[in-house]
Amino acid sequence: MADPLLEVDDLAVEYLTGNANVRAVNGVSFTVGPGEFLGIVGESGCGKSTLLFAVAQLLSPPGEVVGGKVMFHGRNMVRLSRGELQSMRWRDYSIVMQSAMNALNPMKSIGAQFKDTLQAHGATSNDDVRQRSTEVMNLVGIDPAHLHSYPHQLSGGMRQRAMIAMALLFTPQLVIMDEPTSALDVVAQQSLMTKIKDLQRSLGFAVIFVTHDMSVVSRYSDRVLVMYAGEIAEAARTAEVFERPLHPYTRGLMNAFPSVRGPRRDLVGIPGSPPDLARPPSGCRFHPRCPDVMPACLSNEPDLYRVGDTDVRCLLYAEQAKEAV
Amino acid sequence: MAIPDIAVNDSITDVEATRAPRRFLRAVLGNRKAATGAVILLVMGFVAAFPGLIAPDDPQAAIYAQNAGPSSAHLLGTTMLGQDVFSQLVWSTRLTLIVTLIVTAIATFLSTIIGVTSAYAGGVTDRVLTVIIDVFLILPVLPLLILLAAYLPPGVTSLVIVLCITSWAFQARQLRSQGLSIRDRDFLVAARARGERGIYIILVEIVPTMTSLIAASFLALAVYVVGFAASLQFLGLGNSSELMWGTMLYNAQQASALEAGNVWWALSPGAAVAVLGAGFALVNYAFDEIGNPALRPVRRRRGRSSA
Amino acid sequence: MAQPRDSPDSTASSAEPLLRAVDLTRHFRLGGLFSKHSLHAVDDLNLNIREREIVALVGESGSGKSTVARLLARIYKPTRGEIYYRGRSLRSLRSRKDQLWYRGEVALVLQDPFSSLHPVFHVSHGVTRNLALHRAELKRNERRREAERVCETVGLSPKMLSRFPYEMSGGERQRIGFAQALAVAPKLILADEPVSMLDVSIRIGILNMMAGLRDREGVSLLYITHDLASARYVADRVVVMYAGHLVEEGPTETVLSSPKHPYTQLLLSAVAEPSEKDAEIAADSGEPPRVIDPTEGCRFRWRCPHAIEKCAQVTPRPTPIGEAQVACHVAVAEAQRASNPASIS
Repeated sequence: MADPLLEVDDLAVEYLTGNANVRAVNGVSFTVGPGEFLGIVGESGCGKSTLLFAVAQLLSPPGEVVGGKVMFHGRNMVRLSRGELQSMRWRDYSIVMQSAMNALNPMKSIGAQFKDTLQAHGATSNDDVRQRSTEVMNLVGIDPAHLHSYPHQLSGGMRQRAMIAMALLFTPQLVIMDEPTSALDVVAQQSLMTKIKDLQRSLGFAVIFVTHDMSVVSRYSDRVLVMYAGEIAEAARTAEVFERPLHPYTRGLMNAFPSVRGPRRDLVGIPGSPPDLARPPSGCRFHPRCPDVMPACLSNEPDLYRVGDTDVRCLLYAEQAKEAV
Repeated sequence: MAIPDIAVNDSITDVEATRAPRRFLRAVLGNRKAATGAVILLVMGFVAAFPGLIAPDDPQAAIYAQNAGPSSAHLLGTTMLGQDVFSQLVWSTRLTLIVTLIVTAIATFLSTIIGVTSAYAGGVTDRVLTVIIDVFLILPVLPLLILLAAYLPPGVTSLVIVLCITSWAFQARQLRSQGLSIRDRDFLVAARARGERGIYIILVEIVPTMTSLIAASFLALAVYVVGFAASLQFLGLGNSSELMWGTMLYNAQQASALEAGNVWWALSPGAAVAVLGAGFALVNYAFDEIGNPALRPVRRRRGRSSA
Repeated sequence: MAQPRDSPDSTASSAEPLLRAVDLTRHFRLGGLFSKHSLHAVDDLNLNIREREIVALVGESGSGKSTVARLLARIYKPTRGEIYYRGRSLRSLRSRKDQLWYRGEVALVLQDPFSSLHPVFHVSHGVTRNLALHRAELKRNERRREAERVCETVGLSPKMLSRFPYEMSGGERQRIGFAQALAVAPKLILADEPVSMLDVSIRIGILNMMAGLRDREGVSLLYITHDLASARYVADRVVVMYAGHLVEEGPTETVLSSPKHPYTQLLLSAVAEPSEKDAEIAADSGEPPRVIDPTEGCRFRWRCPHAIEKCAQVTPRPTPIGEAQVACHVAVAEAQRASNPASIS
């Protein structure tokens, strides 16, 4: 098995708000192999975006990494200086944000922004810049003539593609994406995802894809992390998670998707709402909403137990995991 | 009969459940600039309410030595007519403050109503009102004054009238902008959908969401009014026998106090105006920071993260 | 609970529908006072909503569906066309009394739980105002009890009424939105994307609640959404819009299991399902256009794999095919050929 590209080990992130510290990410560990597509799924408030920012070293006060490691190429990114991070940024890993309109400069043309990025990270001659800019535009399927366009002149789908083109300028090994399709309509979303997948197969980069949309993840990712209340609830290969979900939360989520093509059935969803992370529930964080809650769940915090190839944070599997050892 | 999947969540999430006044108080106390401003205003208020406690001398009694410099008997010296400058300054606080507050209140009220109505009504009403606002904004004040001075008797009433006319438009555009940004918010669409009348929506649905902005407008306008009132009186619109800082400036000017070397008389009213204006301006900082948490100073955590 | 009842035969409705929109059109003038450009948000829409029925109005952004909601809620006035409620034209509602009557029959629920409630007041504000405006016959304590009742109907404890919006979750706020609507005792609720901004696990609760409103309270709903799956889950009939036009409508199962219009087919194929992998994916990268100063012709033709010459010349009108209505020359021609095998040209 190849060495992992990225290894996150027991990462913890807190926000200082007023009096209390809110632990938005609590001891998250996972790895990403080269060329792998990892989906991180969760609903609002689960900490997935915070996790992403922490991994990409984009956290700013009041958010702060308070524990754990992010190992990329054998170096702990949490401890790197700004200069060292700068040399890695965009060359080794890049980021695609949720809303292109927020991330792109509305006052500059697309080409100008590519040029800024290229020059900021080492490219020199104008010819190089032009050539590379045209290349990436072709990669994502936008007419290179649009290098002269401004963001507002492009449609939503094209803007997101431009963001991806920008992320690929140096052909990094890892591209981190924070809900890049959530602002798009269903058809544009699908075409964008197809394009990302194609690019991934041809260029070989790994992807960490954060989203609340389980259906997107199901179709395109190799492995899935399901997050709840700042922790990993379940982690497994995509097919496993969707066919045999173990964690009651994951099962509840699967049961919350009305189907367009399959049989019609009554669905239930998950009652209640995600907990306030400033005052998380005792024991297992999901217990107030869990249909399979046991008395132990109120006092014991479950570890991540391995059942087959799946990691699941649920006391229901504590015994199984012990037996397997 | 209730639908079974109850979404009752009895635990109140940990949000700032405190109401606006308490939040404001905390913001003011926590913020050095605003606290300073608040102190200034409180002191001014106290002086306005109880001038006799601070300056027992009759401010208008012309019984002292003329043009005297500061001494223990006369903290800021005396006027050309032999009146105690400090007394005058203290006793003028009341009328100055009252005029300031009345004008600012009227002008803020006008600018709120006109600005928000213009934004909410849209269409022709908006265009007409915007033109009116613009006309009042660009009104050349001094020619207007000269005109009015010929017809209005000099004094506080005229001052108030002129000030209201020339300062209400100041904030109207800003309030209109805010109104425009809110008018398509869903809760207002919902209010229209349920059949609320326009006036109701403006007064009950829109204005209460703008209290911070209105308060900030009030304070900003107060700064302007304090200075401008004094300027107008300095130019002669006031009644020199009324006790206000502006009229003190006028009298000092008429008596060529500066040339005569009576610096204290000539400058202290101006300093008082500046301090009062600063008081309002400083408290306004608190509003900026309540309204926009991004402006709050972020305190970095001490110490590095553990391995 | 969410299973719709067997939908009545759409071709043989004897009763007047609850709401009938005829050639409903809304244009917005672009640019300044003297500009001649207009944005065609909705053109010639014919829509019926019957009693005790959930109709899903499906389309992507720019399709005109939100404009339809606002037209029916009388936030906008139609540029052309008529809306009939219980047989009365909305244009004939002039007096304040008449207008209030309509607003007490048709209520609006909006999309964004974070801006649909007044931020400064208790959440009971909207409910109380609705009761005051539309249920004036109730006395004070009756109003209180009614407020509590609608709260419970939507699955919330009446204690929630004294909370502020920021103290409630998105799902709870949307339920209050429905409670507000129910407070007027409406016959029809216009719900504009009521669950789009909610977490997936919360959506089903709201959708189930909506179905319950139809079944138990006898309220009709116009459910506006871009999500075909949720439309299938609750709706009796589906209406698909594209670029301001109605392209297909009919009973839910009919439209979704055998869509006739190419756009409906595209939408269906683009929906990813958690249980599928490597499904057939239609290749398309377009988006619905902004319709400014349009010409005649089908507005989908540039993205349509089956477009013929006629599509660029004549705007297709909704034509019955089986139980559905389809606005597509090609689909209609095919259907005619299928039913008339003798006439092969």
